[in-house]
Amino acid sequence: MQNKKLKWKSDFEKSVIIENFVNRGWIKSQEKEEEQTDWNVYWATVWNVRNIFNPKNGFRLNDQQIINHFPNHYELTRKDCMVKNLKRFKREQDKEVLETFNFDFLPTTYIFPGEYSLFVEEFHRNPNQTWIVKPAARSQGKGIFLLRKIQQLKKISGTTVTSNMTQLNLASKENYVVSRYIDNPLLIGGKKFDLRMYVLVTNYKPLKVWIYNKGFGRFCNEQYTTDVAEIENMFVHLTNVAIQQYSDKYSQKHGGKYSIDALKLYVESAYGTDALNKMMDDIHNIMLTSLKSVQAVIQNDKHCFEMYGYDILLDSNLKPWLIEINASPSLTTTTPVDKNLKMNLINDVYNIVLPNDDFPDNDQKQQQPTKVGGFTLLYDENLDPNNRKTQKRQSVKIWK
Amino acid sequence: MQQLDNQEILMKLKSSKQFWDIKKKIKKGFNDQQKIGVNDIQKFAQSCEIEDQLTNLISHILKKSKKRETLKEDQIDFLNTSKIKWTELLFKNLDIVHQKTKNQEEDDTNTDSKLYIYDEKNLLAFLQTFKQQQSSALYQNVQFQSNKLLNINIPLKSSQQILDKYQYLLLQEELQDEKINKIRKQIENEHLDIELEKIAQTFVPNGERCLLYLKYFEFDHQETILQQNFTKLQKECLHQLFYDELLEIDGHEISEDTFYFVFQEQILTCLKCFIRDKTIKENIRIQLQNGIKKEHTEFQLPITGFFPFKNISKYVAPLCYLSTKIHIIYALFKEFFCRYFCFLHAISSENNSILSLCMQIEEIISTNSPKLFHHLKVIGCDTLKLIIHQLIYCFVGDMDPPHILTIYDQIIGHDSLEILVILCVGFLNKYKSKLLLAKNYENVQQIFQELREDKFQELVQFAYKQ
Repeated sequence: MQNKKLKWKSDFEKSVIIENFVNRGWIKSQEKEEEQTDWNVYWATVWNVRNIFNPKNGFRLNDQQIINHFPNHYELTRKDCMVKNLKRFKREQDKEVLETFNFDFLPTTYIFPGEYSLFVEEFHRNPNQTWIVKPAARSQGKGIFLLRKIQQLKKISGTTVTSNMTQLNLASKENYVVSRYIDNPLLIGGKKFDLRMYVLVTNYKPLKVWIYNKGFGRFCNEQYTTDVAEIENMFVHLTNVAIQQYSDKYSQKHGGKYSIDALKLYVESAYGTDALNKMMDDIHNIMLTSLKSVQAVIQNDKHCFEMYGYDILLDSNLKPWLIEINASPSLTTTTPVDKNLKMNLINDVYNIVLPNDDFPDNDQKQQQPTKVGGFTLLYDENLDPNNRKTQKRQSVKIWK
Repeated sequence: MQQLDNQEILMKLKSSKQFWDIKKKIKKGFNDQQKIGVNDIQKFAQSCEIEDQLTNLISHILKKSKKRETLKEDQIDFLNTSKIKWTELLFKNLDIVHQKTKNQEEDDTNTDSKLYIYDEKNLLAFLQTFKQQQSSALYQNVQFQSNKLLNINIPLKSSQQILDKYQYLLLQEELQDEKINKIRKQIENEHLDIELEKIAQTFVPNGERCLLYLKYFEFDHQETILQQNFTKLQKECLHQLFYDELLEIDGHEISEDTFYFVFQEQILTCLKCFIRDKTIKENIRIQLQNGIKKEHTEFQLPITGFFPFKNISKYVAPLCYLSTKIHIIYALFKEFFCRYFCFLHAISSENNSILSLCMQIEEIISTNSPKLFHHLKVIGCDTLKLIIHQLIYCFVGDMDPPHILTIYDQIIGHDSLEILVILCVGFLNKYKSKLLLAKNYENVQQIFQELREDKFQELVQFAYKQ
């Protein structure tokens, strides 16, 4: 039951954000740019969130304000930080007696320029391996290319690169991540795809994670091939909609998006129920492990929540691999089905973070049901912090 | 007629769960008796109906072993003549389509999606002409039935019989994991088709559906043969046919479907192989066109004995979910088409034929929802015109794949397309209140253009709602 007219602010002119505010009868904040007080709910860009939480600005959020990012979310959502934190977390876990986390979902990755020499050693050990090079902090497939020869790194260094160099100077100040390219992706209809799934974190300490039941596969428009002649054909290798929309085979009707329900039906029917269950368990493991890896470093704040877009690639053995985590997953809608999904997604986010249009206290948060709209509670550290394995098994049942 | 010897019958019996249940019962009946004669077993079997069960089982095995014969002649002469006329009409359409494609090539224009030999509207319009053409002796009570679109005197199962047969679906509940696991084991162990039919009537777990279908069609140990046959057909596809162009155009619609676009290339490959498959003519349950050889035409019927039609891709699409192997998808599609879907395109009085199914739907709606039936007629949108697309294409494109596969389960489960009658009635009942407010055909179209989600169980519920 909606009983409060909250004030909303949005940095995005996206219908799924604004229509959701309007449908609830909330009022648009009329505040000026420099003021930060006259709103209750703010769907902000990551830069504005950084400004708000910058101690130099001397601004403090009040109890009636909530915002859609954690201050240092980049620990999870910058590719280089994500890799760094996962590697660190793995080192910490290796020292533990009890093995509770599985890290076998991150392809071998090096961060440039710092780990360039380590990369070169690995490169020479596996001369037939293809690598994928990505700018650490960009999105939409920008600046990404596949690497078969060290000389190709000229693209990012600006100068000739040879295999006997021990360090790499980059033309721009940005970091790059270089990962082993998964060259045996699961193909459907002969085409490569990756998964976009949505995860909501309402608290980091203790960790509380919700997973959305709708998501989609993003399909390439060209048949997949490992032919070296096609290695620069981004319509074969990169699944980003921002890239595929320029293919002459792109369809406005479906936008290359294949629902996760359809994918699950396909996997279960073609590979069996056990195979589907294992695949979903492995995907949940990726989500939990990645979030746990940044739990200690993320600045927890009761005013914050964050809806992440997880990008996951399935290989031909149905093994999921983590590609990246997006802090601001696209809320642009490309098809009617897409619009329906994202409208419901944002609506369900508000139903969790502001149940009954109100700011829940701790007790109310504890009493929240485990299923709200399309979200299912994947993990709540409050429930049983010492028995994560039991949590995982329960969460799989809830998901079904 | 192919006959099985006793050894073969025994082997087939041993692959049935029912046989082992019977054996268990007999063993139990004799406890620890040491000496048991054949007469003792016979007496015991007669006393507790086991003999009947065994007899039924064996006669079913013998019936299934008979080679399937294609129905060529209908019991009603008028329909045989109509089939000839339909074939002639399709040949004319083929010429028109061919001319259009030639003109488009010369003009270098984009492919027109109206390039097809016939669609469901054409078929329904043809069936409608029967009303005017028959002699009065063939009409049912003309005055009473004259408001119906199709009004032919053919032997028709009572619509109440169909409603009663599927009423059990109203009681379907969500099954517990334990029950689902039991069904899984049943499918793994069972080989006899009547047992598989029983499973298909109740519930088929997604993970075991492909196995059930393969077993039912007796393909489960024939993968190598299926693969070889398919590979041969693929090689033949290198030689282009005019029909390939029509299949490519047909594939455009499926390529826009959010559930099937990923399978676009596979669907096209299957269809190209299909129209080259010589075995279809002898496997199909009913002849679709009468195979008249036309002189002075550039094209003859494909080797299958019938023309590909608009949206033929829809029949393949849902089966693409069942396997990663295209030769399996092809084998399943071919079997489904030859056993069931062919009837949806047959000019026939058979129970499963489009004519019978249409008449059943009209009968139920005109009896149980007379207000709706009359209203649709008044606004120029007959019941059948509204539902013909869903009927002919088994709701593919209207329902999500899990629900379509449930329809396919029911088709196998009852060896019949009658489930489509139930679902069409349910569909009309579901939208009844909106349809009653529609003032014209455009209003009706708007109702169905809105984003909607029709589900199998939901439509079944609506079918029985008054």
